[in-house]
Amino acid sequence: MAILNITYNGLSVDYKANVADNMRDGDIRRTAIELIRSGQLRGLHIAHLPEDAFRDYVVDRLPTAGGARIYLRPKVPFG
Amino acid sequence: MLREVCFLIGVHDTVLWSDASQSPTALPDSRARWQAIWSRRKHIIEVAHTHPLGGAEFSLEDETTMAALDAALGRRLRYAVITPTQLLRRLPGERTETCEQPDDRIVEAEPWWTTLIRSASGLNLSEKGD
Repeated sequence: MAILNITYNGLSVDYKANVADNMRDGDIRRTAIELIRSGQLRGLHIAHLPEDAFRDYVVDRLPTAGGARIYLRPKVPFG
Repeated sequence: MLREVCFLIGVHDTVLWSDASQSPTALPDSRARWQAIWSRRKHIIEVAHTHPLGGAEFSLEDETTMAALDAALGRRLRYAVITPTQLLRRLPGERTETCEQPDDRIVEAEPWWTTLIRSASGLNLSEKGD
């Protein structure tokens, strides 16, 4: 299991429940959409969040002393 | 060696942070860059990067990265591309419910740090304005 962290609209929020640490990136994006639409992330409730809100986001998976963490963050490459 | 370089710029044209790639055509994704942006988010005015081989325009990669960053930060930043001879700057434009008109312009009076970022990119300083 892992803690999912989502950064959006100026906030970086941990989901209070754990998620499966082997979730695919696409499933993480879809989960994030649903969590934000349904108001399950503290301070981050956007009922009409677009379906593609996390299209240009990437998933970082990091082991930490407190357990696995999954970060959904914006991509930052430049071309 | 030519390489792309990224600067995070704060108030009064302060360089807050920088990193560089090993390529003249790309700055790969970097968690460290994202962490630098997030940790300095209250102070960042502009994100600038170089195109050492020229091309005063934002690439598709640039466009999608800028959109993702603005969405994550909850505010629109200023962005810049620095070529050997020009500075292209995007100012947050008017946004309506249906579209956004970016305000891109070539900056004639360049800030001091463009000399530094060109040098860090391996550009010969004498190339500017020649």
